[in-house]
Amino acid sequence: MFSLILRRSLGQRKARVAIAVVAVMMGASIASALLMVSLDIRDKVGYEFRSYGANILLVPESESISISIGDVDYGSVTEQSYIDEEDLPKIKDHVWGENVLGYAPYLYSVVYVGDQVAILTGTWFDQVQKISPWWEVEGHWIDDRNDTTRTMVGTTVARILDLELGDTLDIAYNNSGNLSTSQLTVAGIVTTGGSEDNQIFVNLGLAQELTRRQGKVNTVQVSALCIQCPVDTMAATIEEQLPGVEAKTVKQVTTAEMNLLEKLEQLMLLVTALALMASALGVSTTMTSSVMERTTEMGTMKALGSPDSRIALLFLCEGLIIGILGGLLGFGVGVVFAKYLGQSVFSATIAPRLSVALAAIGLSVGVTLAASILPVRRALSIQPALVLRGE
Amino acid sequence: MEASATMGTQCIEGQEHPSHPIISTTGLIMDYNDQTRALNGVDLEVEPGEWLTIMGPSGSGKTTLMNLIGGLLQPTAGRIAVEEVDIGSLSPRELVSFRREKIGFIFQQFHLIPYLNALENVMLSMYFHSLADEEEAREALRRVGLAHRAHHLPSQMSGGEQQRVAVARALVNSPQVLLADEPTGNLDQDNGQTILELMRELHQEGHTIVLITHEPTIAELGDRTIRLVDGRVEGAAQGTSTGNEEPKHPELSELSEQPEEPEDPENNQNTPTKEEQHDDQ
Repeated sequence: MFSLILRRSLGQRKARVAIAVVAVMMGASIASALLMVSLDIRDKVGYEFRSYGANILLVPESESISISIGDVDYGSVTEQSYIDEEDLPKIKDHVWGENVLGYAPYLYSVVYVGDQVAILTGTWFDQVQKISPWWEVEGHWIDDRNDTTRTMVGTTVARILDLELGDTLDIAYNNSGNLSTSQLTVAGIVTTGGSEDNQIFVNLGLAQELTRRQGKVNTVQVSALCIQCPVDTMAATIEEQLPGVEAKTVKQVTTAEMNLLEKLEQLMLLVTALALMASALGVSTTMTSSVMERTTEMGTMKALGSPDSRIALLFLCEGLIIGILGGLLGFGVGVVFAKYLGQSVFSATIAPRLSVALAAIGLSVGVTLAASILPVRRALSIQPALVLRGE
Repeated sequence: MEASATMGTQCIEGQEHPSHPIISTTGLIMDYNDQTRALNGVDLEVEPGEWLTIMGPSGSGKTTLMNLIGGLLQPTAGRIAVEEVDIGSLSPRELVSFRREKIGFIFQQFHLIPYLNALENVMLSMYFHSLADEEEAREALRRVGLAHRAHHLPSQMSGGEQQRVAVARALVNSPQVLLADEPTGNLDQDNGQTILELMRELHQEGHTIVLITHEPTIAELGDRTIRLVDGRVEGAAQGTSTGNEEPKHPELSELSEQPEEPEDPENNQNTPTKEEQHDDQ
């Protein structure tokens, strides 16, 4: 009998029920969309932030030796140290390895181009593209790590040496009196606005061969997605993996990144809360109107001996149905909304999640039931003697 | 004039016992918002199986009295008991239970649930009472001559039919007391007659009926009529109808001139009642 009353009662007021469902749906759609984005946003925003460069710099540990003769201090001498190239895979070989988006080794040396002195940097261009996507390159990247004939030159170097794409240049490295030379073709001209503009880039292997420092690198820039773990933890983990290597964090970027993420999440939480409150208000208004319309009906039921609990249950079950319907529809709309947000803001696809669907329904039911409390109290306070007067 | 009317003794299973009024009020006072006094000391007794008609001008307290008897209100002062249950002492939950078990309401405006059909409206009352039995509900509709309209919504029925559904709803749980607040007030003469005929039959079956009306001709159908004026019983008279007989039609003016009955029911046992005229009821 109860389900019959519930069914008929809802069927009788389709328009009002539809309004309440739409109110819940709107809140649920915003909540579920932002929830889906929020779950992905740390990853998405993290990736976005990685476009601003590496956040961990690996340098070899160096020991300085103080030199003094008699009372005269001649300062300290630091032995040139390197990181072994063969150790580099260990950067990703740990529990947070998945969070290492990329790492690029660098080997620096001073070379001559004609009578000009320039900095030759050996690196892996494929990794540089990952961790330094802001590089503006005229021409082409060098994709092959074994390419020993092409170079990318900084825009300042190109201007000073009057180099254009396709030009060749001869570089020479003075290795204790022995000159190592190589003829290179300019594949690309790099503009970063930073120190890279003053460098000549070649593949790491070529730089090592020229300078006879096979298997050595000076520094490694690591771009890590520090979402689940703080960047310091990540750096410490890498240090453990690579003995003799010091991992320095670029805290300024990571701190700003985390702050912005937190603020974004707070903003989304606020928008979600406001949307749900608006939904609750809509449901409450609709339910209150419904109660007012049904004053006589409630009075009759009370006069016939209906306990308050059954009247409350009737409204709460209506709220439950409205909440579930609104939550389901809201999740559907939220998926579309999230996809749009993902594409337009993060250029990424945000996939629907079952957990968000359940959360959307749960939130919708919670909001609807909470919004039903006042109308239900109003229904329970109806005095049948007052509403059933015949006159 | 404040009055008290009693019906003396009643016959139960062929034996005479001291009368136990099914409804009794003593010094009943009802104030609304501590300002408006709707009832101002009503003493009244109604015997089981009696048809009491309440008349009086608008605002005289008729509906308030009926609502108090039906447990829809609780008195400000005084005592009201139905089947010796002191309504004033009941908790809200007990009041609900009391209404469900003891009372059948028939309203002037019918007050059927608009989205339930006739059968379901009757079953609704059973649902609150105990268990909604479709066959019993159909029987109640048959009783009021509406078996063929069982699946019609109130909006698809005439006023008379709606009121008959309301009567079926009121009687389906076999309540001790039927309270009817101007049950024919919204009906044309033919439909009104049908309802009154139903009421008469229910009365003949032994139902206790308290009916409010403005119509003297309707009042004549009852055993006894009291007239409320300004929250007091102006006059009381005892009818002579047994309920199984054709109703007599005493002039209302004569009713009001009946000598006032003593307030103490214990002193009224010699007064003949309609129950005493029944052999076994």
